[in-house]
Amino acid sequence: MNWPAAPVLLPLVTALITLFWGRPGMARRWVTAFSLLLQFAVGVGLVMSTYPGRVLVLGLGAWPAELGIVLVVDLMSAVMVTLTALVALVAQVYGFIEMRWAISHPLRIPLIQFLLAGIQLTFCTGDLFNLFVAFEMMLISSYALLTLEADDWDIKHAFPYVAVNLFGSALFICGCGLVYSLFGTLNFAGIARRTLEMERDGVVTLVSLLLLLVFGIKAGLFPLHLWLPNSYPTLPIPLLALFGGVLTKVGVYVIIRALGTVLPHDLGILHAWLGGFALVTAVVGGIGAISRPFIRGILSFHIVSQVGLMLLAVSFMTPLGLAAAVMILWHNLAVKSSLFLIGGTAALLNRSDDLSRMGGLWSRVPWLGVLFLVQALSLAGIPPLSGFWGKYMVVRAGLEAGEHLLVAGSIGVSVLTLFSMVKIWLATFWAEPDGVVVRVEDPRWRRMTGVVAVLAVVSLAMGLGAEGFSRIAIEAARGVLDQEGYVRAVEQFLGKTGGVTP
Amino acid sequence: MALETALLVGVMFTVATYLILQRSFVRILFGFLILTNAANLFVLSMSGRPNGRSAPVVLEKGVPMVDPLPQALILTAIVIGFGVAAYLVFLLYRLFLDRRTTNATEMYEEP
Repeated sequence: MNWPAAPVLLPLVTALITLFWGRPGMARRWVTAFSLLLQFAVGVGLVMSTYPGRVLVLGLGAWPAELGIVLVVDLMSAVMVTLTALVALVAQVYGFIEMRWAISHPLRIPLIQFLLAGIQLTFCTGDLFNLFVAFEMMLISSYALLTLEADDWDIKHAFPYVAVNLFGSALFICGCGLVYSLFGTLNFAGIARRTLEMERDGVVTLVSLLLLLVFGIKAGLFPLHLWLPNSYPTLPIPLLALFGGVLTKVGVYVIIRALGTVLPHDLGILHAWLGGFALVTAVVGGIGAISRPFIRGILSFHIVSQVGLMLLAVSFMTPLGLAAAVMILWHNLAVKSSLFLIGGTAALLNRSDDLSRMGGLWSRVPWLGVLFLVQALSLAGIPPLSGFWGKYMVVRAGLEAGEHLLVAGSIGVSVLTLFSMVKIWLATFWAEPDGVVVRVEDPRWRRMTGVVAVLAVVSLAMGLGAEGFSRIAIEAARGVLDQEGYVRAVEQFLGKTGGVTP
Repeated sequence: MALETALLVGVMFTVATYLILQRSFVRILFGFLILTNAANLFVLSMSGRPNGRSAPVVLEKGVPMVDPLPQALILTAIVIGFGVAAYLVFLLYRLFLDRRTTNATEMYEEP
């Protein structure tokens, strides 16, 4: 069973094929789209084979598992792999529609595939240093994509992104070193086993804090979020959907994995701190979004707010809280990226994404309006759309954990979200200012709307099928929190391959 | 040796932080270069002394040997650091070309 390697290998192979393909052309696009479809199919297959709580393990290079690198796929990783492939597929096809192959940058396709390989490796890895390598793969591709088609102004705003993440990488290496000297292994299962046996130790809390700092930079946790809202809007729309929808969520996923599976559950004050900072993140993101006058800026600031909400739910550290975080995470993957794409289509029709120069879309292109409304209200948490159920679970988990302040804050943030969504809605769709042109004759918007509708259908299915969706989320959260089960699965694999532990 | 290494790592981190917070791009670049080296040295020092311990890759016990795993780790980290440093040089050069200045304050003030 080598399937855990498939989500990583597929994008890598595709990247190499498309990189060395002689000429850019339609054939390259077909290969990319087919590969993304295949990645999605592999993801679905992994979800089906992990659903009742099974853990797939693959050791690379036939080393004893605690020394070599293991790939571990459980339900949580499998669903993340699937949704990432889906978002990437939609964003990539949207990009194909937006620009003819003759004028699009030939390196964009292979770089996106390298980025995906890094992201999928982050989801599938079971080793801390391998996680660092996956992060670097992802970051270097994202640096390249950020500056690939950038003009002077874009480059200027890309630099803080690069600088902050470089600093984060250096801290991550230090974290790896500390973990190795503390636990004698970098394997997630090995660390988890030792933390189960160990007494509570202050050094462990310190190392956890360092790792949380590193992942917090990646996720955009306050006060480490400042690189995000200015650098993301410089990206082209399809890339923005991929970055905004998936890349920051990778940070959240790693925090969930680290706090749930790897590190000890009893970290003293750390979780309370995380909750406090997460609330501030959510509020700052919500207020910042209101201050922005253009769609991409508003939505980029919203990423910060949503990340805050997810980490708020994580900080309760109860099965229900974690399930709520997982639910918001998945809902956000689909909804956020589709909102970026819808905003991009609206900007294409108005030839600007500055709210003061947009308008008149509701009377001309009502279907785009309907899509936006569904996704925006879902983000704000209006029942019965997908965002509501996640927020409902956050509130319930918070009340059970007795964190009334955090619960009140999370409800307040929903109002802020609704406010800025309504701001976009009023300016873009309802307003009919003089002198605004709507280029309905441009044929691309129809196809773009059709592609985005796929993501809208997925998020609608999450909302209307909340029963099944929440069951999967609760099952995934249980899998993440079940340290003993994780360790057992990896050690069983270790026994099967006849490896020895030092 | 542990104390000296710790002091050296501390000094390198201090210098790197100081340089990164400067306005000149060249200093920022050197700051990042020193930062990666400081982190690598830090990981290297995690090998510890070989007193009576044998490395996990050696199957026969009792052969004194420094734990080679941190060395393998920083080997990877050094290679990644190379790539990123090359990228950073080009990014800063591009920033310099746009405005003909290496001063971050002049670069980021609104025109």
